[in-house]
Parts: sequence; C-alpha cells; structure tokens
Amino acid sequence: MLSTITSGAVYGIHSCLIQVEVDVSQGLPCFQIVGLPGSEVREARERVKVALKNMGVKLPPMCINVNLSPADLPKSGTMFDLPVAVGIMTALAKIPKEAVEGTLLLGELGLSGELKPVKGVLPIVREAARRGVRRCILPVRNAWEGALIQEVESIGMEDIHSTISFLMGEESENTGVCHGNPVNLETIMRQEDENKTLDFADISGQEGLKRAAEVAAAGFHHLLIIGPPGSGKTMLARRLPTILPPLSLEESLEVSTIYSISGLLQSASSLKTSRPFLNPHHTITGRALAGGGRVPAPGLISLAHRGVLFLDELPEFKRETLDILRQPLEDKKVQIARSSGNYIYPADFMLVGAMNPCPCGFYPDMGRCRCTPYEVRRYLGRISGPILDRMDICVEAVPMEFHDITCHTAGESSSDIRKRVMAAREKQKERFAGTGIQFNADMGTGEVEKYCRLGSREAQYMERMFVSMQLSARAYHRILKVARTIADLEGSGEIREIHLSEAVCYRGIDHKYW
Amino acid sequence: MTEQDKAYIHWLYQAVGMGNRGLLRGLEEIGTPQEIYQMAVSDSLKEKVSKRYQHKISYVMEFAEGYDVQGEYERMIDRGIRMVTLAEEDFPRKLKDIPDSPYVLYYVGRLPLVDHKTVAVIGARDCTEYGRYMAGQFGAGLAQAGVQVISGMARGIDGIGQQAALKAGGYSLGVLGCGVDICYPKKNQELYDALIRQGGICSEYPPGIGPRAILFPPRNRIISGMADAVLVIEAKDKSGTLITVDMALEQGKEVYALPGRGTDPLSRGCNRLIRQGAGLVSTPGELLQELLADYQKEEETFQHELVFLEKEKQDILRLTDINPQSAEVLQRRYVEECGKYMTLPAFLHELLQLCAAGYVKQVGGSYFARCME
Repeated sequence: MLSTITSGAVYGIHSCLIQVEVDVSQGLPCFQIVGLPGSEVREARERVKVALKNMGVKLPPMCINVNLSPADLPKSGTMFDLPVAVGIMTALAKIPKEAVEGTLLLGELGLSGELKPVKGVLPIVREAARRGVRRCILPVRNAWEGALIQEVESIGMEDIHSTISFLMGEESENTGVCHGNPVNLETIMRQEDENKTLDFADISGQEGLKRAAEVAAAGFHHLLIIGPPGSGKTMLARRLPTILPPLSLEESLEVSTIYSISGLLQSASSLKTSRPFLNPHHTITGRALAGGGRVPAPGLISLAHRGVLFLDELPEFKRETLDILRQPLEDKKVQIARSSGNYIYPADFMLVGAMNPCPCGFYPDMGRCRCTPYEVRRYLGRISGPILDRMDICVEAVPMEFHDITCHTAGESSSDIRKRVMAAREKQKERFAGTGIQFNADMGTGEVEKYCRLGSREAQYMERMFVSMQLSARAYHRILKVARTIADLEGSGEIREIHLSEAVCYRGIDHKYW
Repeated sequence: MTEQDKAYIHWLYQAVGMGNRGLLRGLEEIGTPQEIYQMAVSDSLKEKVSKRYQHKISYVMEFAEGYDVQGEYERMIDRGIRMVTLAEEDFPRKLKDIPDSPYVLYYVGRLPLVDHKTVAVIGARDCTEYGRYMAGQFGAGLAQAGVQVISGMARGIDGIGQQAALKAGGYSLGVLGCGVDICYPKKNQELYDALIRQGGICSEYPPGIGPRAILFPPRNRIISGMADAVLVIEAKDKSGTLITVDMALEQGKEVYALPGRGTDPLSRGCNRLIRQGAGLVSTPGELLQELLADYQKEEETFQHELVFLEKEKQDILRLTDINPQSAEVLQRRYVEECGKYMTLPAFLHELLQLCAAGYVKQVGGSYFARCME
C-alpha cells in the first residue's frame, strides 16, 4: 500500500514542501529511504523502527520504501522522522488516508517515541500556509511557532503514540495532545514594547552623539562613532534599537524566520518583536559573521537583519573579516554557494561601528594623546576605505566631563525620539512609494539627484562648502543623503542650509582627519 | 688640504663606520688616512693597531679591498654632495669651537653664512595647533629679518619652522641624523627638496647611512653648535628637544623658550626652561630684539579684526581657540557665557559658516579650532 505525507525542509531562507511517499509491500524485509537523504535523514530508519516498537507497534516483515520528493533536492535535518513513521502507519492502513490529507508533519523522534523540537518550523509552516495546507502536527515545543501563522491550525504532540491516536480519531482525553492556542500576535508585539530596560534618557550629556544617532535611525544610515574610552559609545549603540521604529508584523516574521532556522526561537515570548542588536566580539571569524558551514547557517549579519550590527573597537577586527561585510552592505543579502546549492540569507542591517581615534584614545587632545601621527594613521588604516565609505554618518564622542556625569537632568526618552524618527520614516515611505527604496540611505546617485534637489541659495552654499572643506564627489552625495534625512526629521520638504551644515559635520572621515 | 686627501678621509669615515670614535682616534695616531689605506691594502695594518681594536680592524681592511678611493669621491661630488673637514677654512666657524666638534661635515646646498645670525628652532614632533602656529610665526619672522634658521627637519616643530623660513624667502639648514642623500622622515620630501634649492642639508655621517636611533642625539650638538641661539617652541617634560638644550648650554649658546599654559603638557618643558633662566620670548620680534642690535620693534598682533561679522558669529569666534574644542563644548559655553540658547544643529551651522569664511577650521569631525593665518 502506498501513502503520501506532507512535510517540509529549509533551504537558506526559503523553504520547500517535501512529499514523504511510503510504500509497504510484500518481498524481502527491508527499510530504505531514497531521495538524496543526508546521513541524519538516513538514520531516521533506526529511530522510527525503535520508537514504533517502544510504542507497541511492531513493524511487519515487509519491504518498506520511502521516497522524499522532489527527489533531486538534498535533504538534511531530523524533521522527517515523524512523517516517515506516520507514513508507514498509513501505508499499513492503521491510519485512514483522509486523516493525513492536507496536514503537514514535522518532528524528530526519540527512541522512546517522544517528539523532539526541530529547527526551521516557522518558515516551513509559512510556506505550507501559502500552498494551502490548513493543519500541521508539530512537536509540542514547536507548536507555538506554527501557531504564529494564523491561517494554519497548529497541533502540538508529546509523542508518536498520541499522534497516531489523534490521527485515528481517538483524541478525546489524551494528555499528549495540545491544540496550539492561536497566538495573539497583537499582544506579543505590544508586550515586548513595554518591558524595555534601556532608554536614551540614561545617557547624560553627549547631545551631539544623541542627535547623530537620531538622524542615523531616521534614515537607516550606517553610523561610525569615534571617541575616547568611557565616553558612552557602547552605551549609546545599545540603545539604538529603542529609537528605531518597532518591527512591523511582516518584518517580525521575517526576522523570526532567520532565528527559527538557526534554532534560536525558544518560546512564544522569544518571537522577535524588537529589532535585533548584535554585538560580536572582535575576534569573530568571517564565517561566523557572514554565515557558513557545510550546510550554511545564517551568520550574525543575517541575525542582525532589520536591526543593528554593532562592531565595537572596529580597528581591532581583522581586516579580512570586515571586508566580508562589503558585499552584504551593498546587496542587503548574503549569498553562500555550496555544492548542494546556493543559500541566500537576507542581511539588511544598520552597521554601527565604534572606535577610539587613536591607539591611546585621546586624539585630538594633544595634551593627553601619546600617539605619533604614524601610529594614528596605521590605526585607522586597519579599516578598509570601502567600509569607511559606507559610513554615512561619522560622529565624535567628546570626553565626559564631571559636569556631564553628575548632572541628572534626564535627557529625552527613547519614546520621544522614536516619535520623531517614525514621522521621518513616514515621509520616506511616501517619497519612495513604488521605487523599491525604503530609506534615504538606500538612495543611489540617480535618486540623490532626483530627491535631494537644492534651491539656488542652498546650491551656492554647498558650492562654497565644497571648496572650503575640500569635499570629494562621494562625500558630496553622502552629505546630500544625510541632509535629506535631517530635513525629513524637521518635517521640511526642501533641504535648507542648516540641514546641509549639520550633514557636512557628519561627513565620513576623509583622509584629512588624521 | 688637497682633494686627494679628502678622498682618503671619505674612505676612512665610511670604513670605520659610525659610533667608533675610539677606533678613529687610534687610527689617526698611526698615520694619515692615505697611509692607513696603504697599510690596509698591504695587510700590515693589523700589526700596527693596539690590541683594543684588533677585532674591529678587519672590517676596515675588508672595506679597503677593491675600493676605488678617487672614483668614489668623484662620484659623490658629481651627486652634488660636498665635504668639508675641520682643518679647512670653510668649516663653519661656530662649530669649530664646540667640544667634540665633528671632524667632517657632508652637505648639499650651501652652509650658513658666518656673519649672519643663526637660530635653531626646535621642539616636539607631536605638537599642538598652538605649537604649529607659533613655529610658523617664528620661522617666518626670523627669516624676514635675515636670520638663518637651523633645525633637524623632523616632523612637527622642526619641519614647520624651516618650512616657514623658506617660504618667507630666508635661509634654512637641516641637520640630519643620516646621510645627506636620504630624506628622513619621508613625509618631509617637499621640505628636503626646498632646502637643497634654497638652503642646505648637512650631516656628519657619510652618504648612504640610514637613519638609526643612536645617530640622532649626536647630531643635536651640531644643530645647537651651528646656531647663535636656540629657541624651544614646545617640549614635554621629558623630551628629546631638551638634549639639544643641554648641548647648547654646554657650548655656551643662548637658550630661549616660548611660554605656554601651565596645564599644557607640551609647554611644561618650555616653562621649566624659563624658570631655570632661559629667555622668555612670545613673539618673533622679542627674539630679534635680543639677537640684533639694530632691530626696530614693530607692533605685532595675532588677532583678527572681527568687525565684519554678525554679533552671534563674533561671540562664537571669541569662544574658539587655537586648540581644537568639540562643537558640543563650544555650544555649552556659548549658552552659558552669552546667555542665549542655540540648538546644536543651529550652532553647527554658524560654525560651518565661519569655516567657509576661513575664520575657523574643522579638525576631525566635530572639533573646531581658530584659524590664525
């Protein structure tokens, strides 16, 4: 007898429904799995056999063939244990075929028959919903993940026994069955917003730094903070997600999908509702940053998707590691090629770098700086030019003075700043409707010319600045982009001189800095 | 002294190498450079020198082998490098009188004129904006009055002072701690070329000797030795500049120092020198008055006229200083001292306009300093 069960697998960020076809027929007793199974998929045979035995089901001495279709896609992961087991039971006519129709099954089996959680449930269920599947049976610890997709009924199971009873229609008072309560996304999204512990009001002084952070958040500009040790660079960077607009439901699912693939979603409360903030240590390898492995796992730049990737002590990172960021910064995604196929992970993050101005940290305060110009230049030289070029906004943190530390007049709170940022975002949404661009920072040269047109007075002012500040063409465009954001923050349609002035101050480090 | 003799001296200097004064003295006792060369070629040198130098002499003998004495010397002359020995009339007179005077001086360009006043302008390599500005002022001021400026062509004060002197049309001499054919530091190539054209470069080390840390302190005695007075622009408490000052005092030269603020580490060395009796000079004119008997003091100002600026800009400009301050600090001071509130973006706008007008310059991203030129 033949049976077909719907299951799924993840390929990069995309997922694909897999039909698990099981045939049980007379012949020499055997049990084989075909359809490019990886070693963990092949081992499903042993797990299924023993789990069924321990649940009191003895497999008859027959020829069992399992095919994972489409058969030309390599399969990996342990999520096929449950579909294979259920497929065998269906093929043996223990479970009616109608019971498994339109149902997605995922789950790893333990030898005792219990169901263990698997990775990537969210993207698979999402794909299943898109393809018309309306019910899914998942390990109980993954059930909430499936429940995030509102169109699908998510059912969590403790073990293979309760799964079989449920499918045979004997659910009644069985304790192992847990009907996933549809998760109310609205409440989750709101709840995260309330348990904030970080706030911009914690930072006293550093008005210039806070202002630059606000501009960066409004236009999603990459930000470079330069300053002496202990001036609050890290403190500010940690609070950046609190002024970025909250994730929309769609974005939240997108981000959570990446976390699901990485096996980082633990419970309903860990659904990513706030923007990710990643702060890798500078010893990180290129692979950990960009993603990698035989079956590539998302790297930190993908985990920081729609959030902030904060690189503290930027010059301490290995140059090769930083250079890996160049392409993802351009394409907003990272592509990893393996013999098993191309894996594409999204990587649209805001890069925030922090560094000291020189090895001792006090430049340009020549009274305290002990570094020679050569040392200072070499320190900066560790960061490649193309990375610095990406930094639209470069701001210096001033050394904290006693006055700053002791004055407790609270600064603006994150929620106040966030309101302004969101208003600026609205303006950008209107402006770029239908162009595929989301933020001012994404504008290319053509768009800058189109959307950052200057009046005659402003153009004259910019010309004067260009000469007196010895700007480059690249710096000029960057200034216009940032000025556009500043104007948006102020609610001004046109870019005015005052906006340009501020943007000029934020221009990236040109070589004159040192 | 004939050119032939000088060729042999050139050979001996290269053969003995730097830092081997003892060996040089020992050899001089044996005979003239030419005789030493003959002995080295005929392998009889080893028996002549005392036991102390036995292990060092083999290099001298190796160096003599296949060395074209006259040819090498002529090639050096062809490259524009001259050589003058202590025994010659042309040797700088001021340098003759100092203890431990170098026996040979290599130079390109020309050496300073004997009858003109000469000042060594020296100071820290990593200087402040203030030091940078004052070195320029002094270099130019001295040069305009016909005073020759000597220094070590180093990064920082040395180079800036010399550059300014040349720009003002004066003469300047760079004393190097390496061969005169090597530009060190590399960054000063422009100054090096200008010195050859308009001034001079000299060194006691033969051409081809690269810069080494041990070669620099001895050259400081030549800097102070060739000058009538030494002026220290900026120096930390423990600074290499103070070595030159010690040598100047040993040689009986006048020492002047530019005072600075008590809180400035880079002025601490200067202030201490003044406390110990060095002459205090705060303008080029004051120094010239001390140096030149017939100098007419003129009114000297460093301040700009601010009359064309609006009130706010004048106030802001008054707050800026030659030492860079961050825009944030300036804004806070503006609010406190002028009693008017201005947002940071608006304040930046005013500052940038001052930048565009050339009153202020942006140092780094958010630091601003007064422009004095």
